[in-house]
Amino acid sequence: MDPIQERSRQVTRRTLLRNGAHGLGAMALGSMLGKTAFGDVRDKGLPHFAPKAKRVIYLFMNGAPSQVDLFDYHPKMREIHGIELPESIRQGQRLTTMTSGQNSFPCVAPMFKFKKHGQHQTWVSELLPHTAGIVDKISIIKSMNTEAINHDPAVTYINTGSQQQGKPSMGAWLSYGLGSMNRDLPNYVVMISRGKGNFQALYSRLWGSGFLPSEHQGVKFRSGKDPVLYLSNPDGIDAATRRRMLDGIAKINEAKYEETHDAEIQARISQYEMAFRMQTSVPDLMDLSSEPDSTFELYGEDARKPGTYAANCVIARRMAERDVRFVQLFHRGWDQHNNLPKDLRGQCKDTDQASAALVLDLERRGLLEDTLVIWGGEFGRTIYSQGALTETNHGRDHHPRCFTTWMAGAGIRTGYEHGETDDFSYNIVRDPVHINDLNATILHQLGIDHDRFTYPYQGLDQRLTGVENPRVVTELLA
Amino acid sequence: MPMSPTLALILLAWSTEDPAKLEFSRDVQPILAKHCFLCHGPDQGTRKAKLRLDLPSIVGEEQGILVPGQPLSSDLISRITHTSADERMPPAEESALTPGEIELLTRWVTEGAEYQRHWAFDQITAPALPGGGNWGRNEIDRFVLSGFADGDLKPSPEADRATLIRRLSFDLCGMPPTPDEVTAFVEDESPGAYEKLVDRLLAADAYAERMTLAWMDAARYGDTSVHHADGPRDMWPWRDWVLRAYGANMPFDQFTVEQLAGDLLPEPSTEQLVASGFHRNTPTSDEGGAIDEELRVKYMVDRVKTTGNVWLGLSMECGQCHGHKYDPISQKDYYRFFAFFNQSEERGFQTRSGNADPKIDLPTETQKTDLAALDESVQTVEAFFRTTAPQPGAFEEWHADERKGLLERDAPVLGSWYSVGPFQKDTKAEAYSVDHGPEAIEIDVTAKVDGQAWKERPDQDGVVHNLGSKQNAAIYLTRTIDCERAQAASVSLGSDDSIRIWLNGKMVFEKDAGRAAAADQDQTSLELPAGESRLLLKIVNGGGPTGYYFRLGAENLPGPILAALKSEPERLTDEARSVLHDHFIQSGWPEGIEQAAIKASALARKVEITKSLGTVMIMRDVPERRVTYILDRGEYDAPRKDQPVEPGVLEDLLPFPEGAPLNRLGLAQWLVHPDHPMTARVTVNRYWAMLFGRGLVSTVMDFGTQGARPSHPALLDWLARDFIENGWNVKRVLKQIVMSATYRQDSRADKARLAMDPENALLTRAPRFRLHGEFLRDQALAVSGTLVDKMGGPGVKVYQPEGLWNAVSLDRNKRFTQDHGEKLYRKSMYIYWKRSAPQPAMATFDTPIRDTCVVQRQCTNTPMQALVTLNDVQFVEAARHMAQRLILSETDFNSRLDLAFMLCTAHPATPLAREVMLETFNAQLVVFKADKDAALALLGMGESARDESLDAAEHATWTVLASMILNLDETLTRE
Repeated sequence: MDPIQERSRQVTRRTLLRNGAHGLGAMALGSMLGKTAFGDVRDKGLPHFAPKAKRVIYLFMNGAPSQVDLFDYHPKMREIHGIELPESIRQGQRLTTMTSGQNSFPCVAPMFKFKKHGQHQTWVSELLPHTAGIVDKISIIKSMNTEAINHDPAVTYINTGSQQQGKPSMGAWLSYGLGSMNRDLPNYVVMISRGKGNFQALYSRLWGSGFLPSEHQGVKFRSGKDPVLYLSNPDGIDAATRRRMLDGIAKINEAKYEETHDAEIQARISQYEMAFRMQTSVPDLMDLSSEPDSTFELYGEDARKPGTYAANCVIARRMAERDVRFVQLFHRGWDQHNNLPKDLRGQCKDTDQASAALVLDLERRGLLEDTLVIWGGEFGRTIYSQGALTETNHGRDHHPRCFTTWMAGAGIRTGYEHGETDDFSYNIVRDPVHINDLNATILHQLGIDHDRFTYPYQGLDQRLTGVENPRVVTELLA
Repeated sequence: MPMSPTLALILLAWSTEDPAKLEFSRDVQPILAKHCFLCHGPDQGTRKAKLRLDLPSIVGEEQGILVPGQPLSSDLISRITHTSADERMPPAEESALTPGEIELLTRWVTEGAEYQRHWAFDQITAPALPGGGNWGRNEIDRFVLSGFADGDLKPSPEADRATLIRRLSFDLCGMPPTPDEVTAFVEDESPGAYEKLVDRLLAADAYAERMTLAWMDAARYGDTSVHHADGPRDMWPWRDWVLRAYGANMPFDQFTVEQLAGDLLPEPSTEQLVASGFHRNTPTSDEGGAIDEELRVKYMVDRVKTTGNVWLGLSMECGQCHGHKYDPISQKDYYRFFAFFNQSEERGFQTRSGNADPKIDLPTETQKTDLAALDESVQTVEAFFRTTAPQPGAFEEWHADERKGLLERDAPVLGSWYSVGPFQKDTKAEAYSVDHGPEAIEIDVTAKVDGQAWKERPDQDGVVHNLGSKQNAAIYLTRTIDCERAQAASVSLGSDDSIRIWLNGKMVFEKDAGRAAAADQDQTSLELPAGESRLLLKIVNGGGPTGYYFRLGAENLPGPILAALKSEPERLTDEARSVLHDHFIQSGWPEGIEQAAIKASALARKVEITKSLGTVMIMRDVPERRVTYILDRGEYDAPRKDQPVEPGVLEDLLPFPEGAPLNRLGLAQWLVHPDHPMTARVTVNRYWAMLFGRGLVSTVMDFGTQGARPSHPALLDWLARDFIENGWNVKRVLKQIVMSATYRQDSRADKARLAMDPENALLTRAPRFRLHGEFLRDQALAVSGTLVDKMGGPGVKVYQPEGLWNAVSLDRNKRFTQDHGEKLYRKSMYIYWKRSAPQPAMATFDTPIRDTCVVQRQCTNTPMQALVTLNDVQFVEAARHMAQRLILSETDFNSRLDLAFMLCTAHPATPLAREVMLETFNAQLVVFKADKDAALALLGMGESARDESLDAAEHATWTVLASMILNLDETLTRE
């Protein structure tokens, strides 16, 4: 072990021991331990039952990928191509004001080939050849639905359980509830990449902690010099100098603790040590140079380029290996209001191989059994064209009534399709799964009863899954 | 019914002891609220068995639910102790009552089942001052001391003077004291020294800034709109109003009324209108697919929530979808409250660039003077035309000439249009003002402009043409105009949106507009010389389609003038002659032309200034009251048309004041009515929490039945009553608190205190807590001597890592452009607050996103914070300036070190610190002496220059020490 790290480890251990020796009492020790890492380990009675998942990797496709063109195929779509969306299907439902003024709603069959894959003959678009290759390892939910029809409320809803701002994100809930499994890295990490299509906005509230203690907010990792904000030492300060500074600070702080008995000082000493460890652990984590060529064969050559979705997928796997609790990749560019045939192809090219590779890679490393992987966006897209439909071009508007999400690992059924939509991929005809149901199911796999997982705030027991009664989708469980 | 064993045990236990009587609101109500009210409480929607346990009317023999003194005859008791799981309440799937809770309920019934109103909804009491004890400085201390009575607890001794001045300076002004201030206070032995210090701090500008910072969190203040594109807005004039209000110690009732309803006051002043912007800090959206009404409702929901949180300490939002489960707020109550706000005239769909209506102009003093001067020059011109006439015969001569010219004129020959672009920028304003290439050069349509080629266009004049739809982009159009002889030619224009015109390289017309293109929106005149002229148009689009319209020729003169001009003079009717004469006066008579030009230019300049005026968003109601309906499940599109509601307050707390208007003004007056049970309690509790890190009611945002009970109820009421009776005087109440012995206690905890009062709820010591991120950054700037202490103005964009806005923004919409110079060193409360990507150093230290109301910040302790204060260029730069200051101010190591500690902690270095720092100094100096590049690299952090006369190794070494001191717990903490 690096002598500097060894020293830091000793400092922390000594601090802990002495703290006990001074008889500070269980309460102070508890609150200190609770704050020594990103997670608060105070007992919340969690997990409620034995978890299947220890960690989650959420591949969030921001902007809403078209379920019509990727997964939710009905051969009948070929026949309805070009016809007006029948009123019997639309049933007067709300459209966005981007298309509600259109006087024609021509249905558009996918301009891509679909083939059946795997043991269960699952339709998958030609745009996702690699995902098609793992259909026997995943569950595909075709009956996802939400009430929100526009990006900002919808993306806030699925990530925080509420369309209004101010609520904690799922990752923050998990960090708060389950605590940290490692001492060198944050508990909830967010990475952002983008494709070629229209970028919808993101907001720091999507990985924010809302009313939960803010140490549970997602920590954004980025490519480049400072993978975590402010991680690098200032110019001219090397690791030895930094170590010397921290040792000096710790000595003076320890004396302050002796004088005041304020447990926050002990916590602060630990946090400075954690910051120091992160200065090594994070660059190590982000440095893919030690990955063998086989990694890049699996994830694609794109993974060699820092900041790409593929590179982020490799990093997500490395985080899973290091027991980061919740990793969320936001990939932007799925908002195909126009130029769908071209832009959707580009989006898929950027993501398909790496998404599938992540599942395969986790599996071959034995991590898939306790890592839950989720792929999906905030809503779906319409069967009808937004803007003019030509032979080679069209767009699709927002469609909250159905969309497709897939899950894998950690006790999720394999080779399974859940739910069904009508031939227009417009209405759900069987087994709807609301986004709160999905979130309840994710919590369930982590050993959490969503109904009992609450935080008192403003006189209410707040929940990630809201006040309606969501249901764990038990059919998805192996 | 068989008596349950539990109940038997409880009754048995009582026969042997006589405990003090229970208090409903303290002992009983929390149990009922937690276990019973969900199904048997105020919410009609979830109520089961038509049973309501939250009202005292349930008590009585007839009902048999709660029979005073007779637990065995009370159904409630038999149901909670029932032996059969099917019969027992609460139902098995809910959380069960503990034996202790069962015991309390049983005892309560035995003692008479007396209900009391929830303490916070009941009138503020006038508590008598507790007697006894020989400790304390003012009334507050007597209440605090009485809280110790039963235990062995004692107050802590007073903190030392240096600690006190640092504590007061941060608590009241958010700034550290200077070493001179510390020394002066420590040495001031006069009896009034402490009070003098408090008065000085309360009078400082920094006090207003400190108070405003807290208010900005509550008011969810930001410099951007939050939703979707999160575009910029200018609400800083509102923030500056708050600064002025705190500075002038505006009474809190007035502060409330002006912010909630300044626009509804009789003949509101500009200041009062600006104040009303409080509720325009609401997050808004510009998302394309959204429905106006849906967004509008969302804004009203935010206003109800914020008003409830800030003034009532209640969360009302449950009422949006259903009745409140615990507090007496029905869905109808909610929508009556909502109806006060639902009158706002603003639209749901708002802009992504700048302020949305309603707003007011805010001219600066210079702009006011300029506008007045322009008005005067217009009046002078008008007076000239009234009093001066041309020479006799001049008109006739002119007419003959013009007529000849018109009839004989060779029409100019127009070349084809060429266009290049679009050239996109972050904002329309930028696209408009920036030269994308062709504005200052001779145009060659065969050359490229910034990589783009000129393209010939087939456009016919006199028709609106579409040029695409790039947002915030400029497109150029050019053509030649060939004339046989020099002439003035009028031009009629249209544009979407803004337009500028150059003739032969000189700008001859501009109009910064936001509009759809149509025929003849603007007219101007071109002075065409003989020969070929080059015309250049720039069309700048802010959003939607880009378009233009162009038509040239005298034919653009208004018809009657043209006809009169062509007519033979002797055939002119009197009327036509008069029209033509008027035209001549302004366009033909040389003196007239000159005067008209002065007027036109003054008017144009006026328009220009008016456009550049700062604005601020204000509240304004629709003229006719909008009918509010209860919204089913809170859905904007599900109004229950059969249930219209009038605006109304929570009458249960206090009836609406008689004679008050039924609008926001009345609502505000209700909130600050002297009999209101909540506003004053909630407000003084917030101040208490600001000074003690924890409120007397620890749930600062929840005074409802689920919130914490006050640790010192009598003190809270005494403070609240005193606040009201003394005219809601904010400085007075703050002074009262900080003058107390309670406040002045030492913050060091010994084991006994820790064991007996671990959370310091009883106030046996002063709290120790980490300073806000803003205060830490401001402290670093202040001790380094680089702070630019200017008040108010637009937000400043200080250092932050690259790419943060870009990573989240809509279609690369907005990029972060860092400011330079002075702006980098302003106080942190002025940092530009982008709410989708807040400044990361501040956000790391718990500054809320401010997209929702927060009345008490969290105070966390994370590794990310260590990275900020150790590595953020702002802190490193401050450290090197602090080092420079130490070296320049003192000559030896010990004096320098003491100065450093005095600056950051108000105390000289301890012997241990001296030893540690000397050791570090010696080791580090060797390193930097050997590696001068490293020293220079460190000293190069940040944009400000260093004093190059200083030895680099020594300066860098002191920088390391300064950085360490800036990172000490004592520096980061208010003790």
